[in-house]
This record gives sequence, C-alpha cells and structure tokens, in this order.
Amino acid sequence: MTRNSLSVRQRNTGLIATAAAAVIFITPFLYIFFMAMKTKKEAALFLFSWPREWHFWSNLTEVIMARNYMLLLAYMNSTLITVGAVTLLILFGAMVGYILQRRPSGWNRLIYAGVLVGLMVPPAVVPTIWVLQGLHLFKTLQGMVLIQVAYGLAFSVLLYRSFIATIPRDLDEAAIIDGAKPLQIFVKVILPLLRPVTVTLIVVQSIAIFNDFTNPLYYLPGKENVTVQLTLFNFQSQFQSQFNLLFMNILLVTIPPLIVFVFFNRQIVAGMTAGAVKG
Amino acid sequence: MAGVVLKSLKKSFGAVEVIKGIDLEVKAGEFCVFVGPSGCGKSTLLRIIAGLEQATAGEIWIDGREVTGAEPSDRGIAMVFQSYALYPHLTVRENIGFGLSLARLPKDQIRARVDAAAAALQLGPLMDRKPKALSGGQRQRVAIGRAIVRDPKVFLFDEPLSNLDAALRAQMRIELTDLHRRLGATMIYVTHDQIEAMTMADKIVVLNAGRIEQVGTPMQLYNHPATPFVAGFIGSPKMNLFTGETARALGCTTYGIRPEHLALSPTAGTWQGKVRHIEHLGADTVIYLDVPSLGELVARVAGEMAADRGDMLWASPMPGREFRFD
Amino acid sequence: MKQRPSPYPYWFVLPAAVVFVTLFLVPTVASFWFSMTRWDLFTAEFIGWDNYRQFFKEPFLVQGLVNTLIYAFVTSATKSVLGLLLAVLLTSGILWQGFLRSVVFFPVLVSTIGVGITFQALMHPTKGVINLALSWVGIDGPSWLSDPGLALYSVAFIDLWKGVGLATLIYIAGLAAISPDYYEAARIDGATRIQQFWRVTLPLVRPATVTVITLSLIGGLRSFDIIWATTRGGPGFSSDVLASVIYKQYQAGFYGLATAGNVILFLLIAIIILPLTWWFSSREVDL
Repeated sequence: MTRNSLSVRQRNTGLIATAAAAVIFITPFLYIFFMAMKTKKEAALFLFSWPREWHFWSNLTEVIMARNYMLLLAYMNSTLITVGAVTLLILFGAMVGYILQRRPSGWNRLIYAGVLVGLMVPPAVVPTIWVLQGLHLFKTLQGMVLIQVAYGLAFSVLLYRSFIATIPRDLDEAAIIDGAKPLQIFVKVILPLLRPVTVTLIVVQSIAIFNDFTNPLYYLPGKENVTVQLTLFNFQSQFQSQFNLLFMNILLVTIPPLIVFVFFNRQIVAGMTAGAVKG
Repeated sequence: MAGVVLKSLKKSFGAVEVIKGIDLEVKAGEFCVFVGPSGCGKSTLLRIIAGLEQATAGEIWIDGREVTGAEPSDRGIAMVFQSYALYPHLTVRENIGFGLSLARLPKDQIRARVDAAAAALQLGPLMDRKPKALSGGQRQRVAIGRAIVRDPKVFLFDEPLSNLDAALRAQMRIELTDLHRRLGATMIYVTHDQIEAMTMADKIVVLNAGRIEQVGTPMQLYNHPATPFVAGFIGSPKMNLFTGETARALGCTTYGIRPEHLALSPTAGTWQGKVRHIEHLGADTVIYLDVPSLGELVARVAGEMAADRGDMLWASPMPGREFRFD
Repeated sequence: MKQRPSPYPYWFVLPAAVVFVTLFLVPTVASFWFSMTRWDLFTAEFIGWDNYRQFFKEPFLVQGLVNTLIYAFVTSATKSVLGLLLAVLLTSGILWQGFLRSVVFFPVLVSTIGVGITFQALMHPTKGVINLALSWVGIDGPSWLSDPGLALYSVAFIDLWKGVGLATLIYIAGLAAISPDYYEAARIDGATRIQQFWRVTLPLVRPATVTVITLSLIGGLRSFDIIWATTRGGPGFSSDVLASVIYKQYQAGFYGLATAGNVILFLLIAIIILPLTWWFSSREVDL
C-alpha cells in the first residue's frame, strides 16, 4: 500500500482525528502549562484559560525554593537512583541475556522461570522492607538502586536475549580463536554490538525509574531521601491553595520525559513494542 | 613438522554419535580437503581440530604436540569461517589485528604485521573501512588476512566460498591455491562441493556418516574409488550406479560406470535405450537414456550430439573403465 | 578427558542473580510465611489463616478485591479496543499521522502523579474544565472523583487516557507486521473495508492483542499510583483496590495483613494470567 498522496477522505478523517486528539490528549498538557504560569489567585479558578499575567520566573523560583530547596534535592536523588540503576540494569541484563542465549542448558529453564516471575509477580513489599532492613539498605539510595535493578531486570534480560540471538555465534568463535578470554569476548565483541538495544533500554528504563512513585514511597521514606515523584505528591497537600506552584512542579516533572521523547522517539517505540509482534 | 594427526577421534552430541572414530594424518604443507554430504560430520571434525568443539574420545596432534585439551588460541591454528565472522564494529585493520592486540603485542609490531598481511592480499586501500562497506570477495580476503596475521601452523577453512557467486568462487579457488603455494602452510578445507575438492586438494578425505570413506589424491579417488559412495560423490555428472538384480547380472553387488565413459552409437552397443532428455552444454552433451534392463543411464559425450528426444541409442562402457564393487 | 571451561561462564549471571534473589525472590517466598503471622517487622507471631479470613470477611477488604477485578477488566478491555481502533486509524495514512502517534503516546511517559493531580483539577465537580464544558451543552456533570459509585470508573478513565498510547503503539507494530499482500488478496476476493478488518486484520493482529490484554491486565491488577494520586481509595473505600489496601494496612502497621494482601494479589494475577496465557497459546494460529 503506497501512500504518496492523500485522498480527500483521508484528509478529512485526518482533520477530525487531529482535532479530537488535540482536545483529548493535548488539552491537559496545555492546562498544566497555563496553570503553571498563573498567579495564585487566577490558578485557584481552575479555568482552562490564557494566563492574564505570566509568572513563569516567580513561580519557578518559588517552587524551587520551597521547603528549603527540596525540589533540587529531589532531582539529585532521582538522578542518582536512575543513573545507578540503569547502569547496573544494562550491565547485568546484557550478561544474563548473553548466557541465556548462548549456553542452552538445564540452568536456563531456571533463569527463564526467574524472568517470568520477575515480569508477572507483584513484589512482596513488606517482606522486602524486612530484607532491606536486615541488609541495612532500607531508606538508602543504594537500597533503592538495587530494588530498581531487581524489578527491572526481567525486561532487560528479555530484550538483550532476543537481540543477542541476531548476533552470529561465529563472531564469538572467531574471537576464541583469536585468543579472547570469556570476558574479552563479551566486552570487546558482544557489548559494542549491543549498542542499539542498549540505547533503547537506557531511555525506557530511565523514564520508568524516574517516574516511579510506588517503590520510593515504600522503600525510601524520609525527608533527606525524597525523589521527584514523592516531592510532587507531598506538595499536593502542601500547596493546597497554591495551584500555580503545584502545576509548575508538574511541568518540571513532565519536561525531562518530553525532551527524551523528542530525541529518542525511535528507541522508545522499539523498546515498548519489543516482543509484541512475536507474542 | 607442522602436520595434523587425529587418533581414533570420536564425538557425540548427547546420544547421537556424529564422529565415529577417525584416524587421519595430514602432512606438513599439505592442502587437505574434507568433503562429504551435509551432516557427514566434516564441519564438526574441523571444529574439533580448531578446539571449538571438544572430542568425546581420541587425540589431536598438531605439529608434533598433543593439543586435545588445549585452548583454540594455543593450537597454532587459524580459521576462516563460512560467514567470514568479521567483527562488524571494527575496521579492516582492527579486524586483522584483533588477535595480536589481545595478545598485547606492541602497537608498532601489530601495525607492521597487519600491513604485511594486507599487502599480501591487496587490502591496502580498504584498511579503514568497516566490513559492512566491503563486497563479498573483499570480506573473504579480510577473513583470510585475519588468519594469515596469526602466522599459524595450520589454516582451517569452513566452506569459505559458499557465500560467493560462481564467478568469484572460481577466482577465489585459484587465489587460495596460490596462497597455499606461497605460504607453504598446512591447510584443512571443508566443503560439500566436490569441484572445490578436486581442483584445490593435495589430499581429499571423503567423509560419510561420521566415518572416513576414503583418503587419496583427487585422481586416485576418481580413478580408484574404494566404495560406491566415493564413486558416486566424486565426478559430475554423478557416476551411474546399479545395485540389486541388475548388478548381479553384471557379476557384482554394485556396478558403476561414469557418464563420460560411455560410448554412444545409433546402430550397435551393449545397452539400447530411448533418449528421455538432452542437455546441450556446448563443450559436451549430457544424454539421459531409458534402458529397459538397467533403468536410467546418463552419458556424457564431447561436443555436439545430434539426437532428439525419443531416439533410440546404443550405449557401451569403455573397456577398463567399469567399476564393480562387492 | 578434562572438560575445558565454557566460553560462556555462569558467573556472568551471578551479580544479577544475587540482587534478584535477595531483593525479589526471598521476599516473595517469605511473604507466604509472614502472611500467616501478626508481625511488626521484628517479631512474627504465627496466627494461621486469620489474616486471610479477615481479608474475605471485612467488607472494605472484600470491596478492594472486587474493585481490583472491575478496574483491571475495564481498563484492559477499553485499552485493547480503543488501542486497536486508534492503531488502525493511525496506520491508514491520515494527515499528520506521525504527529498524532506521538500525541497519543506521550502520556505513557509522563509522571502518573502529575497526571493524577491534573485530572483532579480537570474533574473538579464545580470548577473543573470537564464539567464546565458539559454545562455548555446543558449537561450537569457528576462529581467524577467524589461520587462513590463513579470514582473507580473515573480513575479507570484517567488510566485509559494515560495508557492507551502503549496499546496503540503495540497494535501499530502488530499491524505493520501484516503483509499488505493479504489485503490485496482480500480486495481481489471482493472484501469490503469492514470485512477486511474482521477477516484479515483482527485474526492476524492477534499476537499484539495477546500482548496488550496480558500487559494491561497485569498492570490493572497491580495498579496503585494513579489511584493513590487521585482518590486514595476514597471516598470511603469505594475506589480501593488490593494495592491501595496493602499500602493502607502497611501504613497502619498491620504488616501481616498487608503481606496477606500481597499474596492474594499474587495469586489473583496467577489465576487470571496463567490460564489466559495457556488459552491464548493453545489457540495459536500457525502462520
């Protein structure tokens, strides 16, 4: 089916669909943007309207300074958690996916079972807190990083495994004959070839971990450990009468994924639809 | 001397035995071709020599040293893969030098050796390209370059020409033979193509179902095949082979006659048959005859043959060219 | 003969396995034990099936269970149907197709909490944009999030708004995998557009359907943050689901009860997803 020119019908359907999508999917974002610019008084009206006065800078600085610069701390914590967890997820996921694909054996059934469990089973939160406490990792960023690794591993392994299946084994064997040790085969031959899927995973997992609310809520209580999503949630009750600031906060939380989406649209789509066609 | 010796080598995958006891000596400097139908175990045998597979039983000696349990990189071998297995993320130069850099050789030494190998294969202008930007023949050369630079005692080739088109394949056959002559190294070459075996080998090893069927020079195998299998495998078109009642009538269990060793005549001969199909190849003509007492009989005659489908022709075996197997 | 070590050593799996086993499997296994105790994280007193009995006796806990099922089925069904329709629309070569795909998908990437707060404002019974718009056409809009009979469905709608883009994306990939030859063959056989959809698209896009239904069911059953960001299970317990009940019990210090809720959620997912997966795979069409 070639589509070089649009028929009249396609053009009309397009216009109607665009209008509908604009109303349904874009309005809430415009609403966030407008609310974030308004004065406290105007925002309290909840209207979908052009701001009478623009208060971008004052609202921004006020949100950032709120509660002794809590938002900055939150951004730092969220960034640390995201970078740490994604790094480990890439490394561990690639290593497991590699062994899983390259070395078929009885152990693989066990690994597969683990992956399936990881994808399906909801984490047992309170016992996890109990384990974290035993390891002195409860309420620590390190603990949060490891939790995100444990929860994100299954997806990474599956994605890497199916990608590694497309890398011919001959390459490993050529490297063996060239004298490469197991770690050298992995680091010098396999890892560089995994770049496309690694970019996809970095993008997809970063967004997921950055946006995660539930897990920090359980495993990372305490003022000094706040993450971006927790701050936003807490501001909700604090800014009960300052909706302009609350929405400025939402705007700030929405911008990072928007930037990532603009630059990595293709990789995100690849990651989100991985395995969808195969079932 | 850099020969390869295999002693009662066996290999099983689970319950399936794919190599059923192989004894073989490849002399230093020899170009030895393993040939056989797919599934005969020739590739597995090569991979066992390379050390990529481990033998279930038996010994492998390379250059007078037992290497049965040695790492592939410690065996003094190099291998050229069917898919070439060039590292896609490295340039030609890095591909060829990969093994040397793993061995932590000094940079200038790597450079000198890579350049020498590249010069031998006329790869000069391609050194900074990635494999993706190379043609099939160029990739093939890089793969060979990667083998040469290791300065191995034994080269192993796993069907290296099967991904090339016919013209390039013919050219590479000549280049490989030249290379062998220049380097004087031992080469073991796996193929399913009997033409490659006949044109390149000093010594052919015919494998069938995990066993050696026969070892010999190309002409020994052509003139004196030890078994019907070898007789049928070497030569094109295939030798006419008859078994059962037909063969018993001719005084053996299997009777064979090559198509090129049949004389055709419109008037008289041993067997009369009806022409079912004719292939004009230009230099010679292949004729398929339906002979009532034998079945199908294929004959090849030089030049053009004036015959039509449905004609009756007589075919006679040339004296001394018949094979009788018991 | 001495076995040479494999070039694919198992220690590659070790770091991942250590993290996964300690922080995922151990707690999961331990949850079966702790769910049968009265527990304060330091001492656990075995009380048998009491926690479970309570879960199926207390009306608000039972409601949480029922709500979980309703919520999961509603979101999953709407996401699969609307996702497919949107995907068909967005692969038919309409104007600004690429832009529309992005617009539909972007909410998937946005913070759930942000979306929740935004919709709280949009769904405000008197000042909210939605009801304001409805009043223009003469409809008196309901209290979306504070009407006990409606709250759960309003949250499900927000979830649909945020999540339908993923379903659409998966369906678009599924549709792209269908060879245009089938449509051409169907057209030559005289199939109308509608017939093409039912006879060609729907059966051949099945793998995507399976993925969408499975993913959105699991997601729906585990759903927590969107509910917590909008209604916190309220008003009363009218929009509570298992995950929010678990959190509430955890906050109240009933760790054994919370863990029992976790086990029930786990079993619920297993009972629904495993037979479904089995059923889907048994009806696999060989293509």
